[in-house]
Amino acid sequence: MNDIDLDLDRRLAALEARAQGRDDPPGLPAARRRRRVAVPIALAPVLVLVLVATVAAGAVVVRGLVTAREGIENPGQPLAGAQLECTTPREAAAFLAAHGYPDIVWQVEAGNPTANGGRGETTSTQQATPPEHGYVIPGSILDDGRPIMVIDQRVGASGVGACYGMPMP
Amino acid sequence: MTERLASRSILAKSAARGEAADLADPRAFETAVRPHYASLVRRLVLVLGDENDAQDVAQDAYLKAFRSWARFDGVDVRAWLYTIGLRLAFNQLRRRHRWLAALQRVEPRPWRDPSDPDLWAAIRGLDARTRSALLLSVVDGYTHAEIARMLSVPEGTVSSWISRGRATLRNELRQCEG
Repeated sequence: MNDIDLDLDRRLAALEARAQGRDDPPGLPAARRRRRVAVPIALAPVLVLVLVATVAAGAVVVRGLVTAREGIENPGQPLAGAQLECTTPREAAAFLAAHGYPDIVWQVEAGNPTANGGRGETTSTQQATPPEHGYVIPGSILDDGRPIMVIDQRVGASGVGACYGMPMP
Repeated sequence: MTERLASRSILAKSAARGEAADLADPRAFETAVRPHYASLVRRLVLVLGDENDAQDVAQDAYLKAFRSWARFDGVDVRAWLYTIGLRLAFNQLRRRHRWLAALQRVEPRPWRDPSDPDLWAAIRGLDARTRSALLLSVVDGYTHAEIARMLSVPEGTVSSWISRGRATLRNELRQCEG
């Protein structure tokens, strides 16, 4: 093996070491102890009825709750193609104000999603002023006409869309 | 390389003493596989070129490993996990190529290494199996025979992949530096 090969081996090992790897695997089935609940066979029809009723009721409730909203930058939406994901939160605020959206809901996601053995320690808060830093993830227009913008400050976060890979603003 | 030797010792020690690894105990599984998760994800990032895909495939690999734990031969847990992970990764790449071809799209959100972009570009030019064989040899120190078993190909094929892979990387890097 010559010097070039040795250097190549070193660079390959270093390259792999720079890739992100979580320390712990996700919760494995082994961690959960399965418990068996004995139910008399005569109760089976009752359980089936309860299950069917629950599913039906759940569907009705969910239909009332879920409201799909188009992303603010989707084609045909007010800010289609604005690429706010490439800006800082303050720049995004200025852009939105100039386009008739002075009041914005800033949803700030922070913390470490891989901490605590992979369970994550993150927070999600809403505020009226743009945070100092973080990746901008364009949201949608809420029912009251205000746009909601998600700012990702979490450990390991990255830009989205056209600006994936840029440093955190 | 050190990790590889450690992985061999986890269960090999008991095997050497004539004891069978406790394959029925889920906690033994977790103890044996947990130290190799991060390195498997990193390897899959290089093979798949995408961090999200790497995480997904690593999780699938661990689930599959858990289900097959009773069939593990108890010798080299790292090699066993890499074998499962790399096979899933190759399947994932086949599926991805089919989808991208069908949708006529470029690969989404590829991983990038700003510290050594020339090497990463050269590595990405190798096909996934050659890339995997080269990394198993260079980074982990597995022999060609061991890699052949892991990738289910003849030993001569592995030797050829590694030789051609090295030559390709050398040429690409020389062009970049020249």
